Amino acid sequence: MSVLHALNALTGGVRRVNRAPAILGGMWLLTLAVSLPLALTMRDMLAQHLGASLTADRAAAGVNYDWMQEFADQASGVGVTFKPTIIGFGAVLDNLSGFLDNVPRPIVIIGAASAYIVLWMFAAGGILDRYARDRATRAHGFFPPSGVFFFRFLRLGVVQWLVYAALFGLVHPLLFDRFFGRITHDMTVERTAFALRVGFYIAFGIVLAACNLIFDYAKVRAIVEDRRSIVGAISAAVRFVRSNPAAIGLYAMNAALFVIVVAIYAIVAPGAGSAGASMWIGLAVSEIYIAARLWVKLVFWASEVALFQQRFAHAGYIAAPQPVWPESPAAEAIRA
Amino acid sequence: MRALRYLVVAYLLFSSAAFAQSNQPLSPRNANYTIDARLDVRSHTIAGSETIVWRNITSHAANELQFHLYWNAWKNDRSTFMRERALAGGGRAIPESDRSRIDISALKLTAPTAGDLTPHMHFVAPDDGNADDETVMAVPLPEAVPPGGSVTIELTWASHVPRTVARTGVIGNFYFIAQWFPKLGVLQDAGWNCHQFHAGTEFFSDYGVYDVSLTVPRNWIVGATGIERERRDNLDETRRHRFVQEDVHDFAWTTSPDFVERTARFEHPTLPPVDMRLLLQPEHASQAERHFAATRTTLKYYGEWYGPYPYGHITIVDPAFQSGAGGMEYPTLFTAGTRWLAAARVIVPEGVTVHEAGHQFWYGIVGNNEFEDAWMDEGINTFSTARAIAQVYDPNYLATRYFGGFVPWVFTDIVLSRETEGNRLAGYRHDARSDVQATPSYQYFPATGGSITYNKTALWLNTMERWLGWPALQRILSTHFDRWKFRHPTPHDFFEVTTEALGRDVGWFFDQVYRSSDIFDYGIQELKSAREQDHYRTTVVARRYGEATFPVDVKVTFTTGEPALEHWDGKARWKLFTYERAAQAVSAEVDPNHVLLLDVNLTNNSKSLAPNGGRAATKWSMKWMVWLQDHLLSWAFFV
Repeated sequence: MSVLHALNALTGGVRRVNRAPAILGGMWLLTLAVSLPLALTMRDMLAQHLGASLTADRAAAGVNYDWMQEFADQASGVGVTFKPTIIGFGAVLDNLSGFLDNVPRPIVIIGAASAYIVLWMFAAGGILDRYARDRATRAHGFFPPSGVFFFRFLRLGVVQWLVYAALFGLVHPLLFDRFFGRITHDMTVERTAFALRVGFYIAFGIVLAACNLIFDYAKVRAIVEDRRSIVGAISAAVRFVRSNPAAIGLYAMNAALFVIVVAIYAIVAPGAGSAGASMWIGLAVSEIYIAARLWVKLVFWASEVALFQQRFAHAGYIAAPQPVWPESPAAEAIRA
Repeated sequence: MRALRYLVVAYLLFSSAAFAQSNQPLSPRNANYTIDARLDVRSHTIAGSETIVWRNITSHAANELQFHLYWNAWKNDRSTFMRERALAGGGRAIPESDRSRIDISALKLTAPTAGDLTPHMHFVAPDDGNADDETVMAVPLPEAVPPGGSVTIELTWASHVPRTVARTGVIGNFYFIAQWFPKLGVLQDAGWNCHQFHAGTEFFSDYGVYDVSLTVPRNWIVGATGIERERRDNLDETRRHRFVQEDVHDFAWTTSPDFVERTARFEHPTLPPVDMRLLLQPEHASQAERHFAATRTTLKYYGEWYGPYPYGHITIVDPAFQSGAGGMEYPTLFTAGTRWLAAARVIVPEGVTVHEAGHQFWYGIVGNNEFEDAWMDEGINTFSTARAIAQVYDPNYLATRYFGGFVPWVFTDIVLSRETEGNRLAGYRHDARSDVQATPSYQYFPATGGSITYNKTALWLNTMERWLGWPALQRILSTHFDRWKFRHPTPHDFFEVTTEALGRDVGWFFDQVYRSSDIFDYGIQELKSAREQDHYRTTVVARRYGEATFPVDVKVTFTTGEPALEHWDGKARWKLFTYERAAQAVSAEVDPNHVLLLDVNLTNNSKSLAPNGGRAATKWSMKWMVWLQDHLLSWAFFV
């Protein structure tokens, strides 16, 4: 039964996301907007290093690994992240592995990522409200809940930050450095050590996913039930997840969607290519992948909203009334 | 029946002839060891006794003997090894149970006169005077050993096997035992050359015959230097393995109950056959042929280029995960190193296998002093490894390991080149100025010494190959190999052979690459090509940015496609080239054929009037942007 509920919610979530392409497009633009300035900075660095050199010809035509190493030797700031691992699917593995292994990143990247998170927090209110209403709200219906819930989600963000900081700052080192190091200290079979590490990833991933699940439903309940108290929203989320195993099943299904998207990209990810048409085709393919990742993220939220409404609420009950904006002073003059 | 009898007689004659041939000394055999050692796997200890017959082959009398006791390097943190390791910022703290020591309980002289020398043993620290270092022991002799004279010494000792450190020790059931017995230094005309154990250097000893008996648990497999001549079971569930090898300067061994054993044979139309024995970790059983193929590559190419491998057998040891014993050479035995997930078209395990097998030639056969001139084996071998790899494993690709280093991902866009990646240019570029290569290797800064020893030598040898041609360089290396096999050459000997083989002195080159830490960096500072009446006036300024000099070509290409090739001795700080031509210049490049592989900045080597830097930067910044977007999405998880 739970599986059916989860499946219904998933299809409902997919439908809701697909019916609001502007949100997907908007989030893609947001992702582009955050990444583009840094990409331009990187472009300047690379262009300056290449100068008028013939080295650039090989770098433009394919990969000039010698130049990449030469650049890396003198790079600083954001430049230190320019490595061969950015090519094709390597980029995804680099990030996924870096995420699971808690690899530190340069401060510039952390800064950009923090800004990105804040922007997501702002957009979250509008996005969830749109998916809860399941009808077009347009910009004037999107931004008010974004504004209203931004500060509530900022408060939730503080709690999230504390939890995730504890997970990555305390639990992760404990698990992967101390325990893993201690258990494998005398291990002479790599296969066993790897299996153990996978086990640790799974264990850590489950804890991480559990927290993520609670925070997702805290947001959903805050929006759908117009909750002001974040502590209340979190405890309500815990209650909901506890009494609805379908929420866990749904999360697993969404995670499977993520795996499918990543797996497809592993097959189609463009390589280095040249600086001609293949560069643009490669970029297009990669941006489709980025959009697909965003789509999965939105499906997570939309399906969770759908499940919550399906299990606990009804469509008419959801969300605060649409804000009614006061008329412009000009209206009086017009009437007159 | 008669035919069978003939066959048996013929076999006996052949074997005795072969035996006689193998007994022809290839080396001076002046340091001969008979060792009997018993490993206790419960207490991680070795109890041993050894008899050394040593002959003085110098022109001076010897008043004392000096021994290496390498395992005392990890006795405490005050040893020179540990202090240098700390200086290099490496290594974890060693708990007491993982430490090692070697204690000699008795040292007796048995010939030409008998006497107990035990009370006279004392530690010396010839390199740094560190009173806490116990890696060199000296003992005065009651009577000096004259040139050509011999002494026989008997030692009894016990040692504690460390958890693997510096490629020796134990982890789990895997033992790799190297530098493990009291070993004589090398007496030279200038006195004993017996350095303390340093964090960044290797070893030096005389050639001799090793007859070593090892007692280990009965069902454990043993691999060692030499050939197993005898195997005897004891009543206490142990087994005694006797290995013998002539004309080597060290003895190492390994034992484990877990090894998977494979054998194969190297055969070649002109080189002697070699029996290969591979001791693999069970999880790497599927990679046996990769190890054999890589070893064959070395035996073939090094054999063809430098000279044959004379021992007829070789043992390849695949060390256990986390043993840290991989990638090390010992006579007729070496450790390779691979991973459970080893991707195709990536040279793991081939790179390390070719390299360590190559050390049988450069270290094993030509026995330079690794404490002082490590470049003579490590550098020449790094160059040779890259050259051999390029013959067989081309193309090979860059792979990066993810998820705790367990999962490899191959970047098929990035073909690794012999000239830069094989010779490790990136590491050299970073550490180029850290030390003068002529400095004794043990005095290099520990953290960067490798770049000077391995990378720089490989780069300057490959530069010589591109400059003088392979036949000339091969003549140098094969002459050096032939002249100095089973002996101890010095850098001077190498340079002398170079002059002889080339018929001219290239000392100016060695002054820069060997006797200096100056860097090479040539570039095009300026390229202009402007119309003047009915022609274009093109000016090119080539510049020497580095201190070191080397003759380089400068190539200027014009719109007609016709190039102008100039030769510049590279000595001045800059050189102007001017052209009055009907065609406009397109580009200028210094060292267009990349002869000078030591050039630390290749990007400034050229200039184009139709630059592609912008296009390339756009392409790569877009690739990077996708990485960043994906990275941002990882962070979006937290929202």
